[in-house]
Amino acid sequence: MRLLLVEDDVMVASGIKLGLTDAGYAVDWVGSGERAEEVLKTEVFDAAIIDIGLPNMDGLELTRRLRRPEVTNHAMPVLILTARDALHDRVQGLDLGADDYMIKPFELPELLARLRALLRRSQAATSAVLSFGPIELDTANRRACAVRDGERHAIELGPREWTVMEYLLIHAPKPASKDKLLQALTGWDKEITPNAVEVYISRLRGKLEPHGVALRSIRGFGYRLERHGMVEG
Amino acid sequence: MGIGAGLRRRLLVMLLVPLVLLSMLNAWFDYRSADNVALQQDQRLLALVPLLADSVIGEETRLGEGPVLLLAPAVEEFLKERPGSAAFSIMDADGKALRGERWLAGLPPTTYNAEFRSEEMDGVTWRIVRQRVQSVVGEITVVLADGSDPRQQWARSIFLTVLLPNLILVAAGAVAVNWAVRLALRPLLELREAVERRSPDDLNSIDVQASPLEVRPLVESLNRLFDLVNAQAESQRRFVADAAHQLRTPLAGLQAQVEAWAQAVNQPTADTPARTLTLQAEQVNKLRNAARRTSQLANQLLALSRADARAVHAQPMQQVDLKALCETLLETNLDAAAERLMDLGLDAQPAQVQGYEWLLRELLSNLLNNAIKYTQTGGTITLRCGQRDEGAFLEVEDDGPGITRAERPLVLQRFYRVQGAQGEGNGLGLAIADEIARAHHARLTLDSGAQGRGLRVTLCFAAPVAG
Repeated sequence: MRLLLVEDDVMVASGIKLGLTDAGYAVDWVGSGERAEEVLKTEVFDAAIIDIGLPNMDGLELTRRLRRPEVTNHAMPVLILTARDALHDRVQGLDLGADDYMIKPFELPELLARLRALLRRSQAATSAVLSFGPIELDTANRRACAVRDGERHAIELGPREWTVMEYLLIHAPKPASKDKLLQALTGWDKEITPNAVEVYISRLRGKLEPHGVALRSIRGFGYRLERHGMVEG
Repeated sequence: MGIGAGLRRRLLVMLLVPLVLLSMLNAWFDYRSADNVALQQDQRLLALVPLLADSVIGEETRLGEGPVLLLAPAVEEFLKERPGSAAFSIMDADGKALRGERWLAGLPPTTYNAEFRSEEMDGVTWRIVRQRVQSVVGEITVVLADGSDPRQQWARSIFLTVLLPNLILVAAGAVAVNWAVRLALRPLLELREAVERRSPDDLNSIDVQASPLEVRPLVESLNRLFDLVNAQAESQRRFVADAAHQLRTPLAGLQAQVEAWAQAVNQPTADTPARTLTLQAEQVNKLRNAARRTSQLANQLLALSRADARAVHAQPMQQVDLKALCETLLETNLDAAAERLMDLGLDAQPAQVQGYEWLLRELLSNLLNNAIKYTQTGGTITLRCGQRDEGAFLEVEDDGPGITRAERPLVLQRFYRVQGAQGEGNGLGLAIADEIARAHHARLTLDSGAQGRGLRVTLCFAAPVAG
């Protein structure tokens, strides 16, 4: 995954770059909005992290320009960094087209988690394959499988199980509410009861467990996909 | 002369307007009486007409002299009263002047009724009456003219006896009010000067005894206000000092460690030869935690200042969905809870309140962070919200160590940390929550959790006013 980091503060930038590189990303760093615009004309990135407080052209202006329809790759996910967390600053950033924002100073694990979520969302939007850990759901061909040691092992899913699995994958790593699952399932002819949802969940649990993916119940809310041993999605 | 000008103007207006109105009313009544004067004049002239007619007693005796005239005493008097301003004329049936002034002659009236007219001649306004009457010498037309212009005389007398005194009265009133107000306001103006002479930092009480009696209540109110402002300024000074003090602690740790490393790295010794440093994981983690704690403190101080009621109420309240808020916070904190093998769950019923969403999120976040931080591994935390009779509520319950009854009121104070608390914290989480509660006119209460274990923090909103 190739990232563009637009940040003028040397200390912050070197810290972020080190952290991201360590986590396996390829990071290109520029120190101004103008430079970023230049670079984006010729290079392609999977996502951009943009600091709002840049000299001259600020991060919001850069984001606005990036989102213009004529720009190639204008749908690239953008995470903005800001030291100002007043409500209107956040709203403005999101309105202008940023996908997420983070307030400085931040903890590295959180940056990584949000970046992962951003990339997942953009992937899900473009590809027909939803994935979580080793589990893959090919929505085009209606096939579920688990990838282990490079091999694909098929997973049999009934139609309702498929719906539940799809919903869970779309929302991963966030939890999915039981109410919403009920709604998603009620498109079928029969009435679905909450108990029925629990049945599907427990069946899915059994099918996912062998592949190292847990389906955890969140008391009073719903369910969440988790990888065994690791907490992050 | 700010205060003075305003008061003076108001008093002047309040006093003079009625005065002027009364004068005008007076003048109007008198003007109406002018009609009476004119009427009287006409009536008098009318009364004189038959008398003048009767004054003709006989035919012409000498040629060219006209009929014999013996003026009635009333007519004589009329003519004598206004020398040069009274005239009469007697004409025959053809309008030929027989006696009296020729200029009054003219065509006789067509009827036997008296006819009045006014005529101006040489700057004198004449009131003329003429009537056809039968007399000893046959039909004649009798004409009487009065040039005394009582209306004008009346106007002159009115001016002297009514208008002029009124005007003088009004003018005198204005001067008196002016002077009286200035005198009355002097103590206030002196007070103002006394206050202005102070420097902006001087918020000490003004000496009540030294102020004149009339302004003492005002001075007392001012002193109370000064006390309030002083107290607030003092509390703010204390807060800034406390915050700076708090910030020093983690920063000191950070700096001490990094200083040591910098020194080692800048002066190569046998252990650290080539301007590099080897660090243990424990050291680095400690440093990281110190940095995180400093950031957290900065964020909390910012939150505290934002929760300040005065800043908050500048913006309007909005509808906040408490259930959605709980769900959002559940999502964001699931990982942190799972890391400590805790069971974080929800018990949320639909509930809406009027409030500030970002502040309520901050509050819930603080409570949840505390629960996750201080509850033991494998513990249980529940986020609750709903609607009770008394109003909507928001709650966080855990089965951790809880807070003793004695410490509960203390814990809401800024920078207070529970005795023997594990983990690192700044003691601001609950203080912020309390501020936010107050900004929403809601109540924050601390209780034990289920079965007397742990802590339950509840935010109770007032029930909305029916309507």
